[in-house]
Amino acid sequence: MSDVVTREEFGEVVVLHIKTNSVDAISAAAIEAACVDMRPITVLNFKDVSFINSAGISVLLKFVVKARKAGYKLFAMNLSPHHQKIFKMVEMSRFMPTIEEHDLAAHR
Amino acid sequence: MVNPHFVEVNIPSDPVFERVVRAIAAEVGEALCFTDERVDDLKLAVSEAVNNAIEHGNKNISSKPVEVVFALDNDKLEVRITDQGEGLGSNQRVDVWDRVRVVEEDNLEQGLLRSFGMSLIKALVDDLEVNSSQKGTIIVLRLYRKGQTE
Repeated sequence: MSDVVTREEFGEVVVLHIKTNSVDAISAAAIEAACVDMRPITVLNFKDVSFINSAGISVLLKFVVKARKAGYKLFAMNLSPHHQKIFKMVEMSRFMPTIEEHDLAAHR
Repeated sequence: MVNPHFVEVNIPSDPVFERVVRAIAAEVGEALCFTDERVDDLKLAVSEAVNNAIEHGNKNISSKPVEVVFALDNDKLEVRITDQGEGLGSNQRVDVWDRVRVVEEDNLEQGLLRSFGMSLIKALVDDLEVNSSQKGTIIVLRLYRKGQTE
């Protein structure tokens, strides 16, 4: 696991904390590397992310594909209002709905 | 600001330098007193256009520069992104203007996970022009200031 993504597991849940502020072509490979060991509930935490472009969306879709194949649930957490807008524009939010931190409390 | 002011930068065709242009876009947007949301829109639209120029225009040949000019005036910000590629073919021209790309289940199954850039640009700017020839492609983005500043 790189410094770009840190991992937190509890029960059926894994939270992948994206620690880079820019999800783009430069950080894509390091983020994709975190896609290898997902759990039945996988959450991507965007708290530290201030920028996502289409190259970033492409790498996030790799998580979507992998979750769908495994029958896992995939969520986005701490998305900024701007990124929520972008996710709606490309209909990403259909495949990676948002979740609140308190919704995870029952799994801890 | 009566006369247009210009900020110009030439970058190598390497995605690392897209971040440099994005940082300039943020500063320009803030200098124009755009709202935070408008600055985010500007950064993303410029990022997509520059990445297109690097990847599809200049084919990632780092010695080929991408020129980016920010022209600021009282009414608007115009951003002109020029590559040195071979221009868009007729199929690509149709694609640029007509396609609205969203995530679709069929595309996920086929591993088609890219090509959202132009759809995002069209949604985020007020005006978009694409001029292409065998000498390269010029994309012009316009964002008007009226009602979009703070």
